[in-house]
Amino acid sequence: MKLFKASLIALGLASAGFANAASLAITNAKVHTQTAQGVLDNATIIIEDGKISAINPTSISADSTLDAQGKVLTPGFINSLNTLGLVEVSAVKRSQDAHDDDATITFDPSTAFNPKSSLIPLMRKGGITSNVTMPHGGKDMFKGLLFAADTSGQFDSLVETRLGVLVELGAESKGSRAMSLQKLTEKLTDANKALAKAKKDQAKDKKEPKRDELILQRLVKGEQKLIAYVDRATDILALLKLKQQFNLDLILASADDAILVTEQIVAAKVPVIVNADANLPEGFDSLHTSLSNPGKLAKAGVQVVLMTSGDTHMGYELRHQAGIAVAHGMDYQSALAAVTKNPAQVFGLSELGTIAVGQQADLVLWSADPFELSTKVEQLWIQGQAHSTESRIDKLRDRYMAESELPRAYIK
Amino acid sequence: MQKMAKTLHASLIGVALVGCNQSGVQDPKVEFNKDPYPSTYQALPQQNIIIKGATVLTGTGERLDNADVVFKDGKIIALGSNLNAPDATIVDGTDKWITPGLIDVHSHLGVYPSPSVESHADGNEMTSPNTSEVWAEHSVWPQDPGFETARAGGVTTLQILPGSANLFGGRSVTLKNVPSHTMQGMKFPAAPYGLKMACGENPKRVYGSQKQAPGTRMGNMAGYRMAWSEAVEYKRAWEKYDRDYAAGKNPEAPARDIELDTLRGVLDGEILIHNHCYKAEEMAMMIDLGKEFGYHAGTFHHAVEAYKIGDLLAENANCAAMWPDWWGFKMEAYDMVFENVAIVDSFENSCAIVHSDSDKTIQRLNQEAGKVLYNANQNGFDLTEADAISWITFNAAKSLGIEQTTGSLQVGKKADIVIWNQNPFSVYAHAEQVFVDGAKVYDRFDEKYQAKSDFLLGQQ
Repeated sequence: MKLFKASLIALGLASAGFANAASLAITNAKVHTQTAQGVLDNATIIIEDGKISAINPTSISADSTLDAQGKVLTPGFINSLNTLGLVEVSAVKRSQDAHDDDATITFDPSTAFNPKSSLIPLMRKGGITSNVTMPHGGKDMFKGLLFAADTSGQFDSLVETRLGVLVELGAESKGSRAMSLQKLTEKLTDANKALAKAKKDQAKDKKEPKRDELILQRLVKGEQKLIAYVDRATDILALLKLKQQFNLDLILASADDAILVTEQIVAAKVPVIVNADANLPEGFDSLHTSLSNPGKLAKAGVQVVLMTSGDTHMGYELRHQAGIAVAHGMDYQSALAAVTKNPAQVFGLSELGTIAVGQQADLVLWSADPFELSTKVEQLWIQGQAHSTESRIDKLRDRYMAESELPRAYIK
Repeated sequence: MQKMAKTLHASLIGVALVGCNQSGVQDPKVEFNKDPYPSTYQALPQQNIIIKGATVLTGTGERLDNADVVFKDGKIIALGSNLNAPDATIVDGTDKWITPGLIDVHSHLGVYPSPSVESHADGNEMTSPNTSEVWAEHSVWPQDPGFETARAGGVTTLQILPGSANLFGGRSVTLKNVPSHTMQGMKFPAAPYGLKMACGENPKRVYGSQKQAPGTRMGNMAGYRMAWSEAVEYKRAWEKYDRDYAAGKNPEAPARDIELDTLRGVLDGEILIHNHCYKAEEMAMMIDLGKEFGYHAGTFHHAVEAYKIGDLLAENANCAAMWPDWWGFKMEAYDMVFENVAIVDSFENSCAIVHSDSDKTIQRLNQEAGKVLYNANQNGFDLTEADAISWITFNAAKSLGIEQTTGSLQVGKKADIVIWNQNPFSVYAHAEQVFVDGAKVYDRFDEKYQAKSDFLLGQQ
């Protein structure tokens, strides 16, 4: 092999250190706060008890100090709408827990979340500290309930369960999209009626609502988020109307042709979760996709969240998706918000997504611009704990780059 | 296997005449047109241009700083510093980077186009494990909007492959990425055909689930071997016919078999193997399978485990076409490493390629290569932009058998050129101008050079 440097072991060691001190001062960082404070140069962040306890304190007192040497510190990135923790190998059915033929609106896959999945350390490699996992559900248009987990790989990773209901609408390979919209409307109407009746009959002995009815009632009470996968503009408008009619806490996902109804989305104050790399017409619902859409939507005032497209295994690519959005016109801080503050707000994870006193210390120190290909994660903290970005793929690489007289299976 | 009746011509030849030819009369020689659907490609209006003062990556490992590139009549005519080209239009190359046009060796544009409706799913003849008789070019829909978006990403040449359900998926076609309303208007003149083969999980899943061979990896190997042994017989029969005919005899021509024509083309070295094959142990056997039947095992596509056998690939002159980081969607893609391409590239006489297999990442092949470059350098490599560009230009051209005419910036080669706004291995890089055969086919700032497919025209 001709192009290797000899310093593999040294590099491996460099990522240790600064582990689990009780309190940590990160000094001399370029801090992207994602708050009104904006970007702070040469800033100091104090982490204590898993939280950010001070920004630029007058005097630094911490168990250890890390000089960031002017490098970029951001909130941990948040990916969403993949099946992280519910899949190991997509084509291996016994390693898949996101799907179930019998799944309905009550399907809560959070109990299947596997923090030991090999996908999770790779998420850390991409600077992702938490993730909103979605169910794939079954045949029902309601796919089930979403949950949030951090990427620490620990058994207590779950952050929030039942944080929204996922519904899929739009083009149907069998039947009409109108039927799904009609069913959704009817279910919401029924839920409203049931609630009104329950109010009226309060004193009387009443029947306990079924589990699915309870969730629908939470939707119309605005207590449960509805995440709707739709693309065509007419479907988006139909959902905006339902939001108004039933006072829904609505989030649009995919929303390929949102650009046609940007004004209405802004007026309805509905966030959208989009792929930055969607620019081909996947079908007749998506004739207006463009790499410039995320930037245009954000500029118009839509709260944009970026997610990775395709296979969950590629979720660590979120930062490059943000880069693609910036390359095609999205304002840099808007793109950063779309992978930090916005997903935190949209999914109600209020302690995440910004760097401010009192916020959870989910932080990433980057070697340079987080969106750039040449940049890597230098340090990553979840709840103030440092976590390595190493995974089995590093072990495989090292095994096959090492010299050995014995078969490589002996290199561990 | 195809069981065609003998050709009319062959069946008319009297059996008694074969071998003795007492009359001395020979029937007309039975010969086939190997190019029945020829390219009708013609270059778009060509320009005479000098790009001045740019950073040039040649595709063959060189980087020239503050360099000029001159092209005329479709060819690169000069490359170097402080060049003069009195008649040429000057393009200011300050801060720009110039590379060869990018080449994607693995694309399904046109055969699995957008929109991905049922009527367009023409990429995989999943009706038999051996469909060497099908040709991807017969499925290409030239109005796929993906050709336009790939062109905006600097892709000037691409190989369109059949899918991977079959042991033998059929012939590939190499296209020039120019707008045309016929496939033949895009067809790369004189580029060899490829034959798509597939290892591993896909064929055994597709056919095994129908209780049909192959249902296992050993079934896959048996399927290849049976087909190649038949192809060897077919080749021998035709060669005997040619020999006897040349000797003045009047032999009966063997029955033509469209399926075996393709395999014979491989045995004759006219058709190149493009083998969907992820795993180290399978690639090693596919190399030996080629040796067993007398052909070269060609390029391994999606070679997720190529890093485990980089030495073997280099020794046997096999290219490996890889993603920078796709993994985990099936078991055979579980052992991905980010440095795969770099490890394969590190051996002498290697041929490492970054491919897309995607209508999305084909638009950012430069960034796909960039991911490899930076990941590798963070883990012990010392690679440069000049190395990385070869993974998506020259090595790709080599894999397709077109490296004599394209894939690098050298005097006399086709002026397939991309002008980038900056270092192309940045997430913020854009192809600003793209030339195919010295003709501008894309300009980021001039709508005149931004083609639109029939499908998207006038959509509301």
